[in-house]
Amino acid sequence: MNEHLPVNIVMVEDDEGHARLIEKNIRRAGISNDLRHFTDGASALEYLYNDPEGPAHAGPALILLDLNLPDMSGFDILARIKSDGPLKRMPVVVLTTTDDKVEIERCYDLGCNVYITKPVNYESFSDAIRSLGLFLSVIQMPDGHGDR
Amino acid sequence: MNLTDRTFNRLVLTALAVGFAALTAAGAMAVWTVSRNQDHAQLIEHAYQVNATIGRYQIQLERAETARRGYLLDQSDLFESEYEASTGAAKEALDGLQSLIRDPRQNQRHARLRALTRLELAAMGQSMRLARLGDLGRAQAIFDEEQSVRALFAIRALSEQMTSAQDVLLAQRNVNEKASLLLLYLVLGGAGLLLLLVGLGSAWAIRRYFADLASSRDALRDLNASLEGAVTERTADLQRANDEIQRFAYIISHDLRAPLVNIMGFTAELESATRLINAHFTSAPDHSPGEVPGPVRLAACEDLPEATGFIRSSAQKMDRLINAILRLSREGRRSLNPEPLPMNPLVKTVTDSLEHRLGERGATIEVEQALPEIVNDRVAVEQLFSNLLENAVKYLDPARAGKIVVRGEQRGNRAIFEIIDNGRGIDPRDHQRIFDLFRRSGAQDQAGEGIGLAHARALAYRLGGTITCDSTLGEGATFSLNLPAVYAGERIES
Repeated sequence: MNEHLPVNIVMVEDDEGHARLIEKNIRRAGISNDLRHFTDGASALEYLYNDPEGPAHAGPALILLDLNLPDMSGFDILARIKSDGPLKRMPVVVLTTTDDKVEIERCYDLGCNVYITKPVNYESFSDAIRSLGLFLSVIQMPDGHGDR
Repeated sequence: MNLTDRTFNRLVLTALAVGFAALTAAGAMAVWTVSRNQDHAQLIEHAYQVNATIGRYQIQLERAETARRGYLLDQSDLFESEYEASTGAAKEALDGLQSLIRDPRQNQRHARLRALTRLELAAMGQSMRLARLGDLGRAQAIFDEEQSVRALFAIRALSEQMTSAQDVLLAQRNVNEKASLLLLYLVLGGAGLLLLLVGLGSAWAIRRYFADLASSRDALRDLNASLEGAVTERTADLQRANDEIQRFAYIISHDLRAPLVNIMGFTAELESATRLINAHFTSAPDHSPGEVPGPVRLAACEDLPEATGFIRSSAQKMDRLINAILRLSREGRRSLNPEPLPMNPLVKTVTDSLEHRLGERGATIEVEQALPEIVNDRVAVEQLFSNLLENAVKYLDPARAGKIVVRGEQRGNRAIFEIIDNGRGIDPRDHQRIFDLFRRSGAQDQAGEGIGLAHARALAYRLGGTITCDSTLGEGATFSLNLPAVYAGERIES
């Protein structure tokens, strides 16, 4: 039932292992959407805004964002997306190891749609990602194009 | 104050005391001299009085003589009454003179004077009587008598003698008075000089004391100011170091988590893969024995699960430790709200929460009444007592009935609480070590990561206090918590 969802998933995650585990579990949840993976903030932003296939120009997308990136903070990317621009309605799922109350609040303040902490315990981790997959399968996306 | 200073001060005080004593003596001496002077003045006055009396006597006698002569010439009543009055006055003066003089020679002279006077007066009286009776011739004869004239001359000479003797006395007395006056001036001058000296000395000593006082006060103020500065600086340093550690702990715990997610994740993946292989081998044990050699089967069915099991348990332990660090760091960043804390109800809350475990172990907690009240953060203080009491309950000796005592007293501006147990005790070598993170002491027969006491000490430091342990192995332990009576709060953290 998910095949018809034309949503691209953009994953910004510097840890290759995490990326692999996230992808595995998303696929296990039956989500087969196109998934693009970036390990640093700059190339992810380049893709999001300037790539002809990127969400700013092509169809709707959902972003999985890690906060700890080598070249910039995930907060910066979140703030950039949620500030006025073509992607401000794009759902952003922050997926990170931090479970600090202050950081969670800060993310929501910046406009993040969902905040998920990566549990160290793998069973919890895979449950969380699979739940995310189920969530993705029912999510209603806004029009991918900007409103201006 | 050092020894020489003290000796010097004693010297100054002694000098001042001597000065004041001398001043008193000088005053007494001045009084004495003045009274002596008065005596001299009296003596001089007396001498003058004597002279004046002699003079009066002489005048009256001469007057009587003149009156007699007048009567002899003209027998009028006026001359007679004048004569009577003058002789009376002369006699009176002579009597008065006797009562005044004390000098033996003057007394001799006076006796002769008296005799001569009697003679003269008798002669005069005779001539007056004769004149009154009208026998002027005989009266004149008596008047002309050489004897009478001689007596009068003798009287005059004697009076002169007495006066000059008195003058000599007067001169001597004058000299004496002058000497005594000089003495008085000297004494007064000396006393004045002494007064000046003592006054100057006192003023100097007082000024010196004031200067000392002022300089020590200034020194104290400077010292105080620099001490305050040093304390502020040190506090700021400590605060910075503490912040640094908190940040470090926070970053470490987060950055360590990321690889741990991988280790746990891929271990789980490995386990599920191993399970598949296992299932394959166990479902077809005799399917093709030649194709799967024994060692391979052993590796897949035993070595792989064993290895992944160890990896998993180690990673789990690491996760617990990291979580503990994270909890500590989070606790360190919580803002504190000092409030007045009645300690007895607070400790009771903590002991009530331990009721179940106390029951399990058959132990009791005895809280001394009237623990000192303090002003501090409620949550932090509760956490502290909870950690210490939990620890005490945890390490009770199963061989005897557990008994824990909570005591408290106020010492100056500090409140000192003691948690005394009769548990298994702590080796003196470990008294410092147990407060380190992840370090534990004695038999490792209780669950835990070695965090409680590290946490307690970090909290105590943060609340402006200290925590120490005193224990003998096998006899119990005493944890002393030293907290400020009033915690002023820390600077606001960003």
